[in-house]
Amino acid sequence: MREVAVLLNAMRDSGVVIDYALFGAAAQMRYTEPVATLDADVLVAVPAPDRLDVLGSIYEFCRARGYDTEGESVRVGTWPVQFVPVFSPLTQHALAAAETADFDGVPFRVVDPVHLAVIALSVGRARDFARVLALLESEVVTPAQIAGLAAREGLTDAWEQFARRFLDD
Amino acid sequence: MTDVERLFERQALWQRSRRTLSWPEKIRLAERIRPTVQAFRLQRERRTARDASATPAPPRAPSGPTRD
Repeated sequence: MREVAVLLNAMRDSGVVIDYALFGAAAQMRYTEPVATLDADVLVAVPAPDRLDVLGSIYEFCRARGYDTEGESVRVGTWPVQFVPVFSPLTQHALAAAETADFDGVPFRVVDPVHLAVIALSVGRARDFARVLALLESEVVTPAQIAGLAAREGLTDAWEQFARRFLDD
Repeated sequence: MTDVERLFERQALWQRSRRTLSWPEKIRLAERIRPTVQAFRLQRERRTARDASATPAPPRAPSGPTRD
């Protein structure tokens, strides 16, 4: 994963991406116990988001450094890395609010726990709900923080449904 | 509390204790279990494909004149 951080920083320094932030299960593990995951999900803001081949320059950058594509991912060391362009106001805000963590001496941009929880809430699969619960259980976010951000992102209904289903006794 | 409940409780405690590891260490743990996860997923995909091929196809609707 250190290799992924080095590559992403180089990508940002060269201007191929404006910014990046790790999200999904690999980011979740910064705050919770380890979870099983096969790939690393990375949010990216690219300089030309309207291009038809929006990830083309990212793949090109990776290929030039010896990292080949594998389906929709790029294999970096042992990790298939999936690049996800920011696709909504929520993901834009998540990228803007991302934190810079330290990964074995390398700075690594990571989505903060509240945005991680609300992104998971917006996706709404069983494993995403498990992510919200894991973040709550590890006490890095509170229900009030999630409710607040969910309201700002137009996800109050999704949060209320979640809370009724999983948090009400 | 039954033996099974005690076992679950110990397991939950152990799992929670993993939270205190550093993030890189947790990532390395996830890397270590990845081959097992992949094997499970492959097994599940094969089973799903086998079950799908063993399920008889639904009867086809009788053909006849159609209306636009």
